[in-house]
Amino acid sequence: MRRYLNMLLFPAVVAVSSCGLDNYDAPESTIYGRVVYNGEPIGVRGTGEAVQLQLYQDGYELRNPIPVYVGQDGTFEARVFDGEYKLVTRDNNGPWVNDRDTTIVNLRGTANVDVPVTPFYTLSNVQLSLSGSSANASFQINEVAGGRDIEYVMILVGKTSFVDDVSYTARLDINDVTEGSTITGSLDLTNNADFNSGRALFARVGLRPAGKDQAIYSQVVQLR
Amino acid sequence: MKKSSIFNVLLLAGGLTCVSSCSDFLEREPDEILTDDQVFSDAIMIESVLANFYGRVTWSQHIGDWYQYTVLDEAGKSDGGPDNIQNYDNAQWRVYDYTLIRNINQFLQSLRATTVITDTEKQVYEGEVRFLRAWTYFNMARGLGGMPIVGDEVFDYQGGMDITTLQYPRSTEAGIYDYIIEECDAVSAMLDEEKTINSARANKWTALMLKARAAIYAGSLANYNNKMSSPIRTAGGEVGISAEHAEGYYQQALAAAQEVINNSPYQLQLNKPDDLERNFYEATSVKDNNTEVIWARDYRYPGQTVGFTTQNIPGSHAEDIDRAAAGPILNLVEDFEYVNNRDGSIQIRDNQGNYIFYDDPADAFANKDARLGGSVITPNAVFKGTPVELQAGQKVWSNGAWQTIAGQPGERDGQGRLITSSNGPNRSNEQYINKTGFFFRKFLDEAAGASTRGRNSEMWFPRFRFAEALLIAAEAAMELGQQPVAVGYINQVRERAGIQPLTSVTLDDIIQERRVEFAFEDHRYWDLKRWRRAHIVWNGVVNSPTAQHWALFPYLVVAPGTPNDGKYVFDRLTFSNSLHPRFFELRNYYNFIDLAWQNANPKIVLNPFQ
Repeated sequence: MRRYLNMLLFPAVVAVSSCGLDNYDAPESTIYGRVVYNGEPIGVRGTGEAVQLQLYQDGYELRNPIPVYVGQDGTFEARVFDGEYKLVTRDNNGPWVNDRDTTIVNLRGTANVDVPVTPFYTLSNVQLSLSGSSANASFQINEVAGGRDIEYVMILVGKTSFVDDVSYTARLDINDVTEGSTITGSLDLTNNADFNSGRALFARVGLRPAGKDQAIYSQVVQLR
Repeated sequence: MKKSSIFNVLLLAGGLTCVSSCSDFLEREPDEILTDDQVFSDAIMIESVLANFYGRVTWSQHIGDWYQYTVLDEAGKSDGGPDNIQNYDNAQWRVYDYTLIRNINQFLQSLRATTVITDTEKQVYEGEVRFLRAWTYFNMARGLGGMPIVGDEVFDYQGGMDITTLQYPRSTEAGIYDYIIEECDAVSAMLDEEKTINSARANKWTALMLKARAAIYAGSLANYNNKMSSPIRTAGGEVGISAEHAEGYYQQALAAAQEVINNSPYQLQLNKPDDLERNFYEATSVKDNNTEVIWARDYRYPGQTVGFTTQNIPGSHAEDIDRAAAGPILNLVEDFEYVNNRDGSIQIRDNQGNYIFYDDPADAFANKDARLGGSVITPNAVFKGTPVELQAGQKVWSNGAWQTIAGQPGERDGQGRLITSSNGPNRSNEQYINKTGFFFRKFLDEAAGASTRGRNSEMWFPRFRFAEALLIAAEAAMELGQQPVAVGYINQVRERAGIQPLTSVTLDDIIQERRVEFAFEDHRYWDLKRWRRAHIVWNGVVNSPTAQHWALFPYLVVAPGTPNDGKYVFDRLTFSNSLHPRFFELRNYYNFIDLAWQNANPKIVLNPFQ
């Protein structure tokens, strides 16, 4: 019996003594940030790694960026090592004017960064409500950079707090809208299984500038 | 004592081995590595190297990989649980094969140096491999845009060398298409004009077809990319061709296609004018007496066979346990026109929303474009002499409403009437049951034993056929404003399909015609990309008629005492195994560059959206 115990001891000693020799500690420092216009975070699609920023660090042989995923409320978070980083938006990605100016981030522990962008349009005065079996929305379109047609605006209702042009249970697209106007629309949910289940519902509105890969969204509102 | 005797034995054995093996062990001739002299002294050896190259040039959608038919809007996956794909990968059908290009260049170098074969023989081999190289570049370009062109260079790296001399920058997108076109021009003069056996090898017409296809791709990229509200391009032109080049490319495409149409030994196959459906099936899927296919990936038993038939054959006709891995979807079926109606929707409800009753489910597909029957097995259509039964369940008339009953595959009711066919369709996660309401016909082999695992099928996969020359010519002529020419070419294809001729041609007509003519032939994805329509057709909207996958389920009517008893009705349903609509985003127009390539060669610039 003693012999067997000794045999068990051997791998245990190996296991204890072999850890930590050649491994880095996991990074502990965090960059917190927001993608903002006029200090307001921009709502985007938060699923499917749709909107990304890129972190570069100079001084190494290879220059592959670290992707930073932007959440649907326009915030992002990256846990990396201390150091000086360059943060840029991804080429042609996001509902804003493509501008690949660098934001320098000096990371010592934590850093808070605002990445300023210029959207083509913004959405304001967003009202989302549920009355009976219809979801009603009204909002105003404001031109910022402009110069592009509006492909469509959409009213989206989802069954989770993640709502965008891919994750939704009901969607209404409105075409031929112009900036400065107030848009109203309502979605009939009478036959919608997620509405009839009586569980929570969430909603937001979005606008797709022509020729951009992403829409700009309002913040998600819980309908019930 | 004991220990030392073992030691002695070991020592003795070691000594003996050493003495007796001091032969030519290290001086043997390798029997798996051949020198250039050995290869290029023998036509059979040269051809086996060539065969290796031919075996390495099948990419993206083809019958060797049925799953790839389900990622677009042609077929649905039915071999078990649902498909979760929500968007397209950044490396979707990406080709980056500089290993093959290097091997081809090594072949060229040795071929040109050899003195064993005559110059005329050399010329044909050279033409063939240069064609395969151009085809490889073409497959890279349509996914990635301009990529480094290395010419005939065989790179050789020795330690201490300046590596930057081996790093080539990306060519422009126009540049890579120009290179392909030039190579095809050069090669078409070197190759024979005769047809090849089973169209398996390249000849002059294959090279001209690649030229026509490359030119029409480049022309439509130059044209339609610049019509987008935000054209996709890079600063250096690696992606994006300027609009003024479009006309030149269209002219090249028209000229090359016309040369094939007017001078080649191929023609639009019309061996069975009385049975146009059968005729179309034979034109694409039967090798004997084929007059249409110019170049194909050929398969041959034993050794080179393909499993497409084994995996996708209807259960009622299966010869092995495999069956029904995928089925064409309603989106494709409805894109086939009626003989006299360009709207191909299947009539399942009348104006009041009531069911339309059919005596035979096959009647719902009467008067369709003959290519539908030649490409898709519709309910009750005949395959290998017997009808393929497809029935999802029964519609029972009870208390003034239709009740839907579905059973286990093959189950019958108390009166002995079939509930659900053993073929399906149903909406389950079960394997071996159809889920779309249709089976493949194109590329499904009718030969005995072709659907067994042990043998598989000898079906070929055509890459170029005569109909494409006609449709390239029609498209190029339409873009060049030569309406009568375009109408003439497109109507040849439509006439062979038994549908009404057109009096004018628009881009939408070309899109429609290519969609149905070339279903399952690896055109759809690349076509919609070059016309910049992919993000419109596959818009990711739930229940969209084009992005969502749809199925058509036939039901037997059980309404005793009414005239409709025993007839058939259809329900149009979302295809249960594609959970999400297809969503093609702007970033998908070009594959992403793998960052490892950029690490190895910093001169490679990234693609847009990357």
